[in-house]
Amino acid sequence: MKKNPLTLAVGILLILIVGLLLFVFQVRQSEVAVVTTFGKATRPITDAGPHWKWPWPIQKVYKFDQRVQNFTEDKLTEGLTQDSFNLLTSVYVGWKITDPTAFFPRFAGGDDPIVEAERVLERTVANAKAAVVGQHPLSDFLSPGQHNQFAAIEEEILGIVRRDVQANDYGLEIEFLGIKKLGLPENVTQSVFERMTSERQVLISKSQFEGEAEAQKIRSEADRKAAETLANAEGQATQIRGKAEAEAAKYLAVFQQNPELANFIFRLNALEGSLKDRSILIFDQHTPPFDLFRGGFGAKPSTR
Amino acid sequence: MERNTHKNGLVNLLIALGAGVAAFAAARYSHSLAGLVASVYLGLGALVAAVSWFQTRLEDRERLERLELDELTRSRTGSTLFEAKDAEAFPARRAREQFERFFVPIFTVLLCLIQAGGAYFLWRWLAKPGTAATLQEPMAGMFLFFLFALVLFMVGRFGATFARLRNQRLLRPSSSYLLLNALLCAVVAVGIILVQSGFPRADLYVAFVLCGLLGLVALETLVALVLEIYRPRVKGKIERPLYESRLVGLLGQPEGLITTAAQAIDYQFGFKVSETWFYKFFIQAVLWLAPLQLAVLVLSTCVVIIEPGEQGLLERFGKPAATGQPLNAGLHFKAPWPVDQVYRFRTEQIQSVQVGSVPEHDDHRETVVLWTVSHSREENFLVANRDSAALEQAGETGGKRTPPVSLLTVSIPVQFQITNLMDWAYRNEDAPALLQDLATREVVRYLAGVDMNHIMAGGRADASAELQKLIQRSANERALGARIISVGLQDLHPPVKVAPDYEKVISALHSKQAKILAAQADQIRTNSMSAAAAAAVLDQARAQRVATEVRAVSQAGLFTNQIPAYQAAPEVYRQRQYLETFARATGGARKYVLLTTNTHDVITFDLQESIARDMLNLNIAPAKTP
Repeated sequence: MKKNPLTLAVGILLILIVGLLLFVFQVRQSEVAVVTTFGKATRPITDAGPHWKWPWPIQKVYKFDQRVQNFTEDKLTEGLTQDSFNLLTSVYVGWKITDPTAFFPRFAGGDDPIVEAERVLERTVANAKAAVVGQHPLSDFLSPGQHNQFAAIEEEILGIVRRDVQANDYGLEIEFLGIKKLGLPENVTQSVFERMTSERQVLISKSQFEGEAEAQKIRSEADRKAAETLANAEGQATQIRGKAEAEAAKYLAVFQQNPELANFIFRLNALEGSLKDRSILIFDQHTPPFDLFRGGFGAKPSTR
Repeated sequence: MERNTHKNGLVNLLIALGAGVAAFAAARYSHSLAGLVASVYLGLGALVAAVSWFQTRLEDRERLERLELDELTRSRTGSTLFEAKDAEAFPARRAREQFERFFVPIFTVLLCLIQAGGAYFLWRWLAKPGTAATLQEPMAGMFLFFLFALVLFMVGRFGATFARLRNQRLLRPSSSYLLLNALLCAVVAVGIILVQSGFPRADLYVAFVLCGLLGLVALETLVALVLEIYRPRVKGKIERPLYESRLVGLLGQPEGLITTAAQAIDYQFGFKVSETWFYKFFIQAVLWLAPLQLAVLVLSTCVVIIEPGEQGLLERFGKPAATGQPLNAGLHFKAPWPVDQVYRFRTEQIQSVQVGSVPEHDDHRETVVLWTVSHSREENFLVANRDSAALEQAGETGGKRTPPVSLLTVSIPVQFQITNLMDWAYRNEDAPALLQDLATREVVRYLAGVDMNHIMAGGRADASAELQKLIQRSANERALGARIISVGLQDLHPPVKVAPDYEKVISALHSKQAKILAAQADQIRTNSMSAAAAAAVLDQARAQRVATEVRAVSQAGLFTNQIPAYQAAPEVYRQRQYLETFARATGGARKYVLLTTNTHDVITFDLQESIARDMLNLNIAPAKTP
């Protein structure tokens, strides 16, 4: 086999690099690390930069993100307030690893120690949250005019969680905690929807009936005014008619010259006036001028 | 030579086995998925090497047996001892034939099943959501796989050349596998480099590609098995081992393709292009060019160009640069990777996080966004309701009060800009997620204390400014290194389920106004008509007055003139007046004149006919045409 010096050089270089990498590891500014010797955590590393170690399987390096981890509850949990209202809450928690040697053995069992730690934190936070929510009335969470007690409630939950984390020496520290979401159970939410709908219905009815009432008022006022106007007009008309009668009465003396003739003429006028519309008249043969049918030419006319 | 072949086969087997175990350990160590799939290839290569080595041993034994027989035949000519049947006389040959007839096909079937099963199960495993993991010790993993690639390439190359020169066909399958595995280890190492270069899923994608390739190799093995059934057998012809993959050989030794191409070029040009100095130089320089390219690649990592709008964080062995300041846009020099590394951030870009409902981006964009039509994944927030609270307090009877709460759908984009990159990158593991949580918390808190009707109407602009202030304060408390540019209350309305009732309130207000206006119209009509009627009554009265007065005057005047006529002939005058008046008055009336003299008869008049006829005389207005 022909030995290629370049191939050999590259091979040796690679072996050197691999060897170096097996003995050296790098920790970033955002990381902390734990070096384990035969599985036991022996050296925490909190400074960024290159560090020495024995190669695997003697020593192994576990690196963790040392920045503030933001853990958010992915689901709302139901609790009872002091005044017995069901309230759903979820919080977010900021935490960071402060002691990798304490953190590592407690959470290194799973694939991702951060996830394991957050699983434990989730239970701790849920307990603390339930305890604190039960000590406050709903008005501390919801109150018009910015009088709610959010900050105080968050501080109380944070205090309980911190005490629990310190007592168990998880090797981590809780930096902050905040309420991320408030909610109501589904049934209550439906009821709130119904109530909101009813509130709107009140406004709708108010508008509807106010409109009708206002319209009715306007119409009745108009009717009243119309009646008044007509009544006034009728009154004036009567007065006018009375004046006319008074004026006409001045001429009655003329008819007094021959009352018989006057009455005859008035009756003829009345007869003419009453037969103006459609009438059915039944005459016998004695009624002039139908008495002509009897052949009586010179019969005396009846004046009935 | 036999011993060499035998030895080379064993070396191939041991190298394949050792590299397989080492690659598996390195893949587990560095959490490389592609490395794990590559170790399966190495395992298959070890299997093939073991079978080919065993077959080589059988052929060697057969060759020795034939040599011994030839020697004995020459020394004892005509002896009947060696005139027995082949099966009895050549046990080694018989063993080799039995091996090739039964074991090789069964092994090939098994190999095909392993390849197909491996491809299938590995693919399914890779497709699982939790399979992809962050690489651990990527640099060590990368160099280890480069080392495996180098070792496998050297041994495989030697084996392949030896097999070609000495015509050792059984050395070819294992050598091809070694060369292919060298290539795959190099690909795995490149995949790790890509992950480190900002393509976090490169390792997973490489693993998928290797799985697909394994499936192709399985398919080729299956095709070879099927063709084996129909292949004509020629006695004495040296056959290609059934388990030898042409695809593996082609991928492991691509120069075979180059040689074929060179021959084709020679044929096309009419002279030996492949023997020109340039071609020969190129072929020789390939070995030098590859490391040179690698060196250039490493040197290229000494230069970094930060694009406009970006800033970079320079880290040396993981520590921030001594200046403590981020790199601004422009050209910068640094130590080669992996000593110095730069992480880029778009600090001038306006970024945003979403609070509340997330708008749906569909292809069919609506031109009108209504409260009553869901246009996002709705998320309701609790909001105080002052009206409800006042109502409850007013009607409180000592029992449990209804909480003064309503629900509101909000969609609030919070736009921000990174102002302090060091804080943004090093203080929080996921700064955008934290900003979203902080913003959501401030929105929840604000809504829980503000009146729903107020924020939906006049308080909207104030709410936006107030929320911006609150979120900025929270971000500063957490030293997020971000400036909040705007908080947009762009989508703030009651939940879709309730929204129609809100619109109905507005409709009711319009209806109310419409009713009032209609009544006012009626009022105007009534007032006008009454005024007109009053005027008519007055006019009628006035007309009557005039008529009465005129009639009285005229009747008096007429009567004054009638008196002399009457006095002249009272009877005649009366009769004349009567008859004239009768004729005028009864002219239009229907008249029945009874001429009968028998007064005892009962006379019946059918007045219905007359009425009917009267009705026929009615004037009916013609129907209006539409």
